[in-house]
Amino acid sequence: MVMTRSNAIARAVVPMSLLLSGSGVGASTQSVELNRRLGDLSDYYALPASGLRDDQRTRFAELVTQWRRETQWLSSTTAVAMHPAYQSIIGMGTAALPFILENLRDESGHWFWALKAISNADPVPPADRGSVKKMKAGWLRWGRAKGLIGP
Amino acid sequence: MTFAAMLEHMRSAFPSVSMENCRPTSPHDEDYNCIAWAADDSSRWWWPDANGQLYWPQSVPRRETLDAFIAAYAQLGYVDVSNDHVEPDRQKIAIFTLNGTPTHAARQLPDGWWASKLGPSIDIEHEFRALDGPTYGTATVVLARATIR
Repeated sequence: MVMTRSNAIARAVVPMSLLLSGSGVGASTQSVELNRRLGDLSDYYALPASGLRDDQRTRFAELVTQWRRETQWLSSTTAVAMHPAYQSIIGMGTAALPFILENLRDESGHWFWALKAISNADPVPPADRGSVKKMKAGWLRWGRAKGLIGP
Repeated sequence: MTFAAMLEHMRSAFPSVSMENCRPTSPHDEDYNCIAWAADDSSRWWWPDANGQLYWPQSVPRRETLDAFIAAYAQLGYVDVSNDHVEPDRQKIAIFTLNGTPTHAARQLPDGWWASKLGPSIDIEHEFRALDGPTYGTATVVLARATIR
């Protein structure tokens, strides 16, 4: 089985009952289990953080390709935002914010719905609603201020 | 990409388009959409999104209904006339719907063809029914106003 960060976390979570149960005498079933799970925890910390980020970036890129291809003729931003690939990106949560902001900076696109849904922010003043260049600039300013994207 | 290649690419969304009923007029531009373009606005993206992030005339309900779209264009003086004939002193806009929901709008040109912006993609000019199909549905309402010179 390939050890990913998420399954390492799931396997390594050590219930309090196990931590409190270690008597230090013999090799009870519980202490064997405790040792196994602590071993898994070591596996978890041995994983490079960049590996997880690369997986997410790859997944994001695949979803973006599908989303752009299947919404390229649409004016309805509701239909664009309700596309399953776009919804999957929103489902990635805050981890997706740097990728979205980079994509907005480099390729533009209607990322405003996702940015608002994930961050619960809206840095675009009402007067700029619909002005795509100004909306983009507002969100990129916000992302830079939050340290989510480089200059 | 040549226009012939672009047409080939478009056919899955718009099965009726051809070199004979459609011509490109400007490149990809995400600054505005068809609803804006029909209203002669190439600076904003119009849509009554529930999030309130995009432009929509302030006094018109933010609803994705045909009535709301008709009301948006009524702000510019358009009324429902339901005929797509060329009339020299009238400008016309067609609203497309798919399953009753607005999807697209096009603006009539003096030669009887229609100007459309395809989402964030290119602008084209086309015959009235060239975009009918699974993506935009069909033009269900035609609005008109006196030509503004």
